[in-house]
Amino acid sequence: MISLSILTDIFIYNGITLTVYQGFAWLQNKTGKIWLNPMLLCIFVLIFMITFLEIDYQQYRQSTNILRNLLEPAVVALGFPLYQHLNSMKSQWKQIVYFLTITISILLSMSYVLTMILINSPSIAVSLSFKSITTPVGIALTEQLNGNSAITAFAIILAGLFGAIFGIKWLTFIKVTSPKAQGLAIGTASHALGTATISQLSFQHAAYSSLALIISATITAIISPSLVHQLNSWFF
Amino acid sequence: MLNLLYTLLFIATCLIIGYVINHIFGGLPASLYGMMAFTLMLHFRLCDATRVKTSIAWGIKNMGVCFVPAGVGIINHFQLIKTHGLMLVAITFIGTLLVLTFVGLLFQRLENKANSLD
Repeated sequence: MISLSILTDIFIYNGITLTVYQGFAWLQNKTGKIWLNPMLLCIFVLIFMITFLEIDYQQYRQSTNILRNLLEPAVVALGFPLYQHLNSMKSQWKQIVYFLTITISILLSMSYVLTMILINSPSIAVSLSFKSITTPVGIALTEQLNGNSAITAFAIILAGLFGAIFGIKWLTFIKVTSPKAQGLAIGTASHALGTATISQLSFQHAAYSSLALIISATITAIISPSLVHQLNSWFF
Repeated sequence: MLNLLYTLLFIATCLIIGYVINHIFGGLPASLYGMMAFTLMLHFRLCDATRVKTSIAWGIKNMGVCFVPAGVGIINHFQLIKTHGLMLVAITFIGTLLVLTFVGLLFQRLENKANSLD
């Protein structure tokens, strides 16, 4: 039996989340300002509310399980833009896999080495190596390679937020303007969180970002065990 | 209304397929296998793209709200930030920026090159 207080919590917390989100979505529509991103502003407002109104975070987390569970079907829905661009991707996918494998290997190593130089902790270096991929894969790899999964979870959210906030602005600034390049970059750097944000721009962004999301998670899962082992042997 | 139910039915089916594949083979999360299953179903016309289009467009436009509880989860890690200082944030920021720059520039170049050959 679900008690009345739990039902009230579910109603209130999901209600607040949806209302704040829709409020910012309305504001963004009205003003046309990209930086008024409803997802990010909603997160900030809720963190602020939870901290200052002394709401129990665990209570909020449990009550919003419904919203979190909707993440999976939402990711499945990204298969639609992927289908729409499947024909144009067919001729390019080998090239995309090839170049993404090279860049991911280099960047994963750079992140590992940078962390070892600055913090000198192999478990943190492992955790931060997986900041760009989707959470379930990142956590599984971290545990397999003796990293700290709390740090991985934190870094994954942070990398997602960075890409979602600054991604498009930064890419436009360095003259990366095609939807394909922007989509692949954000999908590789900021997983589903970045993908969700730029999917609102166009279905082409959504398609390439989703493709990068799948490919980068797969490549990282395949190459990282031996790569991290190799990098570890350099430092010890 | 019927089209919405039709869409939900296919999304749920694909997610279940994703779970089955994940259970047997492991590897990627169920939702990513589900995404691939959905793409293939549309591609092989097992699912009618015109019937799901409107609901999917609405879903993708609003999917950001599903990330809010996970994003608020940062609150759980304040202790971590205190222990390791802002170094973690800095490394994550630099790392993300490097990925964006490398991948973005690389594929923009490749595309420019392909366009100039046309």
